[in-house]
Formats: sequence, C-alpha cells, structure tokens
Amino acid sequence: MRGLSRTTLFSVAAMLGLALLAIPSSISSSGLASAQPAGEALLAKKVARLSAKASANKGIISLDSSAFEDVMSKPRNYSVVVLFTAISPEFNCVPCLNFDPEYKLVASGWSKLADKSQLYFSVLDFKAGQEIFQKMGMNSAPSVLYFPATASQSTQDRYDFGRLGFQAEPFANWLNARAGTSIKVQRPIDYMDVCIKIIGTIACLFTVYQLFTKAGKILGSKYIWSAVSMFTIFIMISGHMWNQIRNPPYTAPGRDGRPGFIAQGFQNQFGLESQIVAVLYALICGSAIVLISVVPKIENPTQQRLVVWAAMCFFGFFFSVLIKFFQVKNPGYPFTLLFK
Amino acid sequence: MSVETTSTVARVLKPTILILIALVAISSRLFSIIRFESVIHEFDPWFNYRTTQHLVKNGFYDFWNWFDEKSWYPLGRVVGGTVYPGIMVTSAVIHNVLHFFNFPVDIRNVCVFLAPMFSGLTAFSAYLLTKELKDSSAGLLAAAFLGVAPGYISRSVAGSYDNEGIAIFLLVFTFYLWIKAVKTGSAYFGLLTALFYFYMVSAWGGYVFITNLVPLHAFTLLLMGRYSNRLYVSYSTFYAVGTLLSMQIPFVGFQPTRTSEHMAALGVFGLLQLYAFAELVRGHVTPKQFKTLLRAGVSAVAVIAVVGLTLLSFSGVIAPFTGRFYSLYDTGYAKIHIPIIASVSEHQPTAWTSFFFDLQMLIFLFPAGVYLCFKELKDEHVFIILYSVFASYFAGVMVRLMLTLTPVVCVSAAIAYSTLLDTYLEKSDHVLGTNLKPLTATNDSNGDASTDAKPTSNGTKKPHSSGKGNAKEAKATAAKADAVESKAQAKSTAAAKRYPVFNWDSRAMVILQLTWFLFMFAWHCTYVTSGSYSSPSIVLASRQQDGSQMIIDDFREAYYWLRKNTKEDAKVMSWWDYGYQMAGMANVTTLVDNNTWNNTHIATVGKAMATSEEVSYEVLRRHDVDYVLILFGGVIGYSGDDINKFLWMIRIAEGVYPNEVKETNFFTPRGEYKVDQDATPTMKNSLMYKMSYYRFAELYGGNAVDHVRQARMPSEGPKLSVLEEAYTTENWLVRIFKVKDLDVLGRSLFDATDFDKGKIRKTKKF
Repeated sequence: MRGLSRTTLFSVAAMLGLALLAIPSSISSSGLASAQPAGEALLAKKVARLSAKASANKGIISLDSSAFEDVMSKPRNYSVVVLFTAISPEFNCVPCLNFDPEYKLVASGWSKLADKSQLYFSVLDFKAGQEIFQKMGMNSAPSVLYFPATASQSTQDRYDFGRLGFQAEPFANWLNARAGTSIKVQRPIDYMDVCIKIIGTIACLFTVYQLFTKAGKILGSKYIWSAVSMFTIFIMISGHMWNQIRNPPYTAPGRDGRPGFIAQGFQNQFGLESQIVAVLYALICGSAIVLISVVPKIENPTQQRLVVWAAMCFFGFFFSVLIKFFQVKNPGYPFTLLFK
Repeated sequence: MSVETTSTVARVLKPTILILIALVAISSRLFSIIRFESVIHEFDPWFNYRTTQHLVKNGFYDFWNWFDEKSWYPLGRVVGGTVYPGIMVTSAVIHNVLHFFNFPVDIRNVCVFLAPMFSGLTAFSAYLLTKELKDSSAGLLAAAFLGVAPGYISRSVAGSYDNEGIAIFLLVFTFYLWIKAVKTGSAYFGLLTALFYFYMVSAWGGYVFITNLVPLHAFTLLLMGRYSNRLYVSYSTFYAVGTLLSMQIPFVGFQPTRTSEHMAALGVFGLLQLYAFAELVRGHVTPKQFKTLLRAGVSAVAVIAVVGLTLLSFSGVIAPFTGRFYSLYDTGYAKIHIPIIASVSEHQPTAWTSFFFDLQMLIFLFPAGVYLCFKELKDEHVFIILYSVFASYFAGVMVRLMLTLTPVVCVSAAIAYSTLLDTYLEKSDHVLGTNLKPLTATNDSNGDASTDAKPTSNGTKKPHSSGKGNAKEAKATAAKADAVESKAQAKSTAAAKRYPVFNWDSRAMVILQLTWFLFMFAWHCTYVTSGSYSSPSIVLASRQQDGSQMIIDDFREAYYWLRKNTKEDAKVMSWWDYGYQMAGMANVTTLVDNNTWNNTHIATVGKAMATSEEVSYEVLRRHDVDYVLILFGGVIGYSGDDINKFLWMIRIAEGVYPNEVKETNFFTPRGEYKVDQDATPTMKNSLMYKMSYYRFAELYGGNAVDHVRQARMPSEGPKLSVLEEAYTTENWLVRIFKVKDLDVLGRSLFDATDFDKGKIRKTKKF
C-alpha cells in the first residue's frame, strides 16, 4: 500500500514512465567512457568552464544530454547535484514547478559561500535530456541525485521528497550532510508582501477601533458564536482534519461504477466526500432543529402539520442517504433505511 | 393517575432504569469473554496487568519503588515513577476488599471486568451531568447512549484493562462535579471536583483535557461578564487543591508549575484573583479613582506577565509543550520530527467514517444539542459548548481522542432527543388550555406595546431631568431601563408564543420515526461492538470456507514456548509493539516495549532489524540478545505483521543512524515497497526480511506466495548465518530465532554455516 502511494506521489510519474517505455532502449551508455585520463590540465579546464557556467546563472548549470555526460565524465574532483525535472507546461508537473524556486534558493545560498567545496548545482530538464532520464532509470520527476566526487556514476544518493518535503531548508540540510558544505537558506524578503501585511494590520486595527462599540456587540452576539461553533463542529465531525493532514485529492475519476467523489477504503476519503457528509449532517441536524424550535411557533394547524411532515421526511430521507453512503464505504454494513 | 402517584412511580422507575442501563452497558462489553475466554487483551493492558499482579503480591510500597530490570534491557525502568497508578490501585483495592469478605476472586478476573464495571458508573455520571443541564429524562437518555456508544465501548470491553477504562468515568464525573460546583458555588463541590481530578490525574494522561477545559470555561464566563462569587469559590478551591494533589503523582511531579500545558489553569487562577480583588476595591473607592487604578493595574500585570513568561520559557524553567501535544496543534509536526508518534495507529487523524461508525445517529443530533445549549446559555451550557467544540477538533486530529468526544456527544444528543420527545409528547389539551389564553392577551398588548411604551418612558424621564441638572445620565439610565423593559417584554411574548403540536398524525409520525431510529442505533451499536471492538487481538478468529470458526492462538503458543524453553534471564528482542505482551506472558527480559520512552533504544532495535547480518549481529551481541521474535503473516494473511511495520522501523532507525539505515534503499527504483523477486538488495539482506522468509519457500515447495502482500516469492529463500530458527508457531504467525554464539573454532559464522552445509571454501587451500 505504502509503496503504491509513493509512486502516485508525483503527478508526472506515470506519464514520464510511459514516455520512457515508448523510447526503445537502444541508447546505451555511449559517451561515458570517452573521458580519458588526459591529465590535470583537462580537469582544470573543465572546472573553470563549469564555474563560469555556474556563476553566470546564479549557481545553477543547466544541462542537456551531452553536457550531462561531460559533467559526469572522469576525471572529476567535484561533486554534482542534479535536479531531474520537467518544467515544460505540457507535463503539468506541479511538484516540479513548486520545487524549482526552492532549488534555486539553495543554489544561490551555495553561490554565496566562500568555501564552495567543489560542488555544482545543475538542472536537467526532461525535454533537454530524455536519453539521460532513460539511462538513469528516472521515471518520476522531480528527482534530485547527488553524485559524490570520488565515486563512480553508479553510486548516487537520491533525495526523498516523500519524507523530507519540497522545502528548501530540509533539502539544504540533506545536502550539507553529504557535501560537507554549510549552505544556509536565506529566503529573500518579499517587501511587497510585508508592506501589504503591515498596511492590512493597521487598517484592521483602525476599523476595529472605529467600530469598537459595534465590534463589542458583534463579539457579544450569541448568534455569531453559535454559528461559528456549529460550523466548526460540522466540519470537524466530517473529517476535515483528516483532509488537512493527509491532503487527499478533492475528487477522482470514478471507476467501475463507483461515483468519483467516494474514495476507496474505509479509512480514506476525498475532499468533496467529506464536504458532502458535512452537508448531510447539517441537513439532518437542521431538520431536527426545525422540529424542535420552528414547529412550536406555528399557529396554524395545517401549516404546522405540513412543516412537521416535511421536516420529518427530510430527516428520514437524508438519514437514509447517509446510511447508504456509509454502506458504500463499508460494504459489509447490514442496516439500511430507505435505500436497499 | 394523580400527580403524586406519578412522581412515586417515577421515583421507583428512575433507579430501575438506571440499573438496567448499567446492566446493558456491562453485558454489551462481554462479547469477547463469551467467544473466547476471560483474558487480557492487546498490548498495554498486559503491562497494567503485570504491574497490578506485582502490586497485589508485594504491596503498595514495593510497587512504588519497583525498578523493573526485565524491560528496556540493559537500562531497566523505574516503574513507580513512570506509570499512572490509578487503574492498578483501583483493581488492587477491589481485589483486597473482595478477599476481605472471603470472595476468592482471582486478580485477573478483577482486571478483566474492571472496564465494564466502570462503564456502568460512567452511564450513571452521564445521567447526573445531563440532569444538571436539562432534566432527568434527558439524563436517562444520555446514560443509555453512553452505555452503548461504540466510541466508548472501543476502549472498555472486558479484558481491555487500560487507563481509559476508568478514566472516562472520572472525566464525566469530574465534569459533573465541576458544573455542580459552579452552579451552587459551594466549596464542598469544588473540593470534590479536585478530589476526582486527582483520581483522574492518577489514572490517565488525558487529565490535561480537564486541566485546560475547566479554566477555559472559567475564562469564557469571565469574558462574558458572568463573573460571580460562585465561580470564584469553585474555581479557586478546585485549582488550589487539585494542583497540590496532582503533584503527588510521581509521574506528574512538578509539571503543573512548569509545563505549558498547565499554564492556562494557573493563568486563569491568577486572573480570577485579580478580578476578585478589583471587585473588592471597586466597592471601596469612587468610580473615577477605580478607573485609574484599574488601568494602571491591568497594564502593570500585563507587562509583568509577558516579560516573566518570556524570560521563564527562554531560561528553560517552563518546559515547552511535549511532542504529543505539538502534534495536536501543528498537525505536520509529528510526521517530520517524531516518527515514533506518527507510527502509532491510534495517533492517526479520523476519517468521517470513523465518526459515523462510532456514534451513528448521535453524531448529527449532537450539533442540535449544542444549538439548544446556545438557546439556554446558562453557565453550565457554556461548558458543554466549549467541550463540544474542542473535543470535536481533537477527535478529528487523533482517532484515540474519539474517546473524549463520545461523552459530550451522548449528553448533547440526549438533550436534543429528549427535547424532541418533550415537544411531540406534550399532553395536547392541557397545554392548549394554559398556553393559548395568555397568547391572545399578549397579542392584544403587543399591538399597542409601542404606543404604551412611550408615555411610561417619558414619565420616568421627566422627574429625573427636572429634579437634577444631570440630564444626560438620567437619559441614559432611562433609555437603558426602557431597553431592558422592552427586551423583557419581547422575551415573554416569545415564550408565550409556543404552540403545542396540534395534529396527532404529526406527533405519531415524529415519535414513531424517532423510536425506529433508536432501534437502529441499538442494532448498530451491537453490530459494531460484536464485530469490531470485541477482538482480544492476542487470540484471532477466522471463518473457514465451510463457515466453521478457526481460532488462531499463535501468540500465546509462542509466548508459552518462550516461558517454558528459555533460561530465566533470556533476553528477547522484538519490535516494541510486543514488549509488554512478552514481559507479561512469557516472563522474559525485553529490550524495548510499548512505553516508548527511549527513542534511541528503539532505533537501535530498528537498526538491528534493518541492516545486514554482519552489522546486526554486532548489535545483537552488544545487547546480550538471546532470541529474536518476529511476526510473520504471509502464511495466513495477517496484515499487521512485521514486514508491514518494517518501514516504521527503518524510519525510526534512520532518525538516529542516518548513515547506516536509509529508507530509500528499501524502495525499488520505481518507488515501490517490494518483497518478491524485485526487492532491493538492501531489503533482501536485512535481518527482518531474512527472518520473515526463512524457509518460507520450502513450505510450498518453492512456489510460495505471500498472502499479505500478494507477492510471488523467489523459489530460493534467504539464508541465515548468525541466527538459527528456534520455534515457529502453527500458523507461522510468530517466529522465534536464536542468536548463535561465537563459533568455537573462531571462524566467522558465515564460514561456519557454509562449512556445515558441506561447502568448501574456495579461496584458500590448505
């Protein structure tokens, strides 16, 4: 189960996998052995070239297939971090886009270091280096591999997005532990954002001050508090926190006759699903409240009868829907009300 | 029937109904005893049982000072200082009382039946609590609901000898006493609240819920302008006595003065004192002076409080929140920082299905009850509202906290249900006679209420303004009085505007349906209890294809084997889940157990399981391990086995030994967790994998299929060199391996194994 969820973690994984399968696996490790031990001069030249490339682009070297082979070729006295990604919009890889600025942040943190520890940051886009993706057996993006200086291409370290997340800080820590660097992530201060926040706070305080008496009335209002409490209870008892923690998709395409908004499995749910349940609870609870509070206020017997019947039918109907819903989730559940 | 006979009948009926409810509550928790036998369930109860045995055998002082060298080898554990002793002391007292009266009941039976017995008491306290909120008929409903609600049964079936079994009773009863104290303002009830709070502190870590909810209630009342001497007396008594008492529990110690979880209670206590002092001063000075004093006082206190708190928390005198509480507020915290908390299934968030499964129709009547509480909104209703909102949040974050939600759901649903019944069972003509008359009268007065109001207000205004020059003030007071008057009028007309339900068919419709829902609720509860919550989990039952029941008793088989076939001080390593059971049933020394206090030690065990034989052999030798015990469900399809828990072992081990254990190495390049042919080399070389699948292929003649992971296994299974198979139970559920001693000839164990198999070393020739 866990293994499965890991594979579906990245939206692009399946697509890339298919694309890779489609390409015939004819391209062997071609340019790998080309780098001959041509001595120190060659290495120094390469390092100079890489350093120039890196400093030209805020610390990141963009690669394509041949450049990748070149960077990886021996002799090599530096370590390389490669981000395998798919930025192009046609792949629709949301994690790639999310991670891209974070990666740049770490790279720029590295470029500010005095001791660069013979490390280079590079990016290989799927469009530019399909062959490499295939050769390395990459079938999900983004992936980050770390190639230490001493070892050959086969020993590599993969950054675990599933566990460590897409933030720059854990990634920097991960890298520091491997490369022996001390990269610190410094997020640029978004002055616009700060300004907006300050102005917003001042405006809020000002309005609160202006409306002080009214605000007191609002804060003291029983109805507002009851509405807020009831709303909180409804979303909590319909599994809102589960959604917060597990981040399920909002809905998914239905399969073999199952409606798309119901997740498979008893301990699993979609965003829409829990919202539907919250609405069902609210409807049933609402009809109970109508029966308790509204009905005794109706003077006209006929009207009253109508309301009672309507509310009770509502009650029964939605309760049946709820039980049916539950039965879909838990097929062994033996009780039903209206719907068999 | 006259009114007197009705009340006499009610007086007899109520206790009868309550006793019946208690009986139902107890008997619905006995499924597992009837199906299996009187046995302690699951994991934690085994530890509680073992300590209770120790307490009964050796007395209280010995129990208090008990250093248990049989767990957490080689560290050991100070038991007296690290347990909540409430449940053990309770059963020991019951045991001793029974023996005093010459009822020779075995301590095991006391332990097994403790939780059901206390559930009867819980139902009774739900009755008392609800009675304070509405009336006794709602109370009876609440008792019945709480007696059978699966959300509570889940932790209190017979044999589930755990803290929660008595703690929920204490929770509800303490809340009842608190409400009683606030209502009456008597120090007596405040003191009783504190005493039961102490009992609760001694019984369950969930006492923190009380420590925060009661102050929150007091604080909210203060904010609502409902400060009263009743509140002052009850809270001050409760806090002072309760805190002093709670510090007597060694496990709690000085926490109430130091940790942030307890700070809210202290803060509200201080606030109430200040408020009371301000009230006192107000009586002795002029309003103007008071205003100045108040301003100065409030700002001084605020500054001191903020500065003091910051200093104290930075200097470390006040400890930050503990991890478990962080994971309640910041839901992403546990996943990153404390895998050991995230790994426990009862710490997972709650899906909507669990709410419905545990509470069925109560779950949607519950908000209706909260709504009714808002309509009444006396001090005690404020408490129920706060309890509802916070408990539903916490229950959403952690499955386990459904337990604290269930009581308030039952109380609140009972209020809603009983109001429904009241409305639709009212005697119609009786109500018609009394209520319709004032109605016509008020209708008349309502029409000219606005015209009436003016002259009176003018009338009151005139003498004031003419008498004194202070016109402004008089105007204000007059307007205020006016407003109050009209408000009261509006209220009385609204109250008078209640009509009964006129038609019998609407009444019948509602009552019949509601009754039917009650039946459904009872069926649901029985179904859930019998199907899901009554499995002892140390004895499994499965249905065979012909419909007959098969009992799988592998756990006890294995533990019994360990008990009888190993030396007295044998050290057995296993994953921490089984630590308590092994100590309790097999009487062996364990390395880690369910009291997960030492993360490093657990990570070491994880490392031994997750690394190759060479590495783990060193770990095993260093910890004097004689046997390794694992669970393997591949033969019968038991999904809770160690291979499925393996990822957590790896994660926890990686947290401490990041260079030796790497989670990524256990996943195939495609990111899958595989055990068959495609498993990664690290996986195949790990001790856990080798132990689990050792000789598994042979069982099926090389054609083995793992029934849990639906994986076809390679025809040649893993080889073991540093361990040898000691025992495997009937269904292969538990496998025990003996750690080999060093080779007598000084060879490495790998060479020795090869030699025994008849293989000759090829590299060197003699």
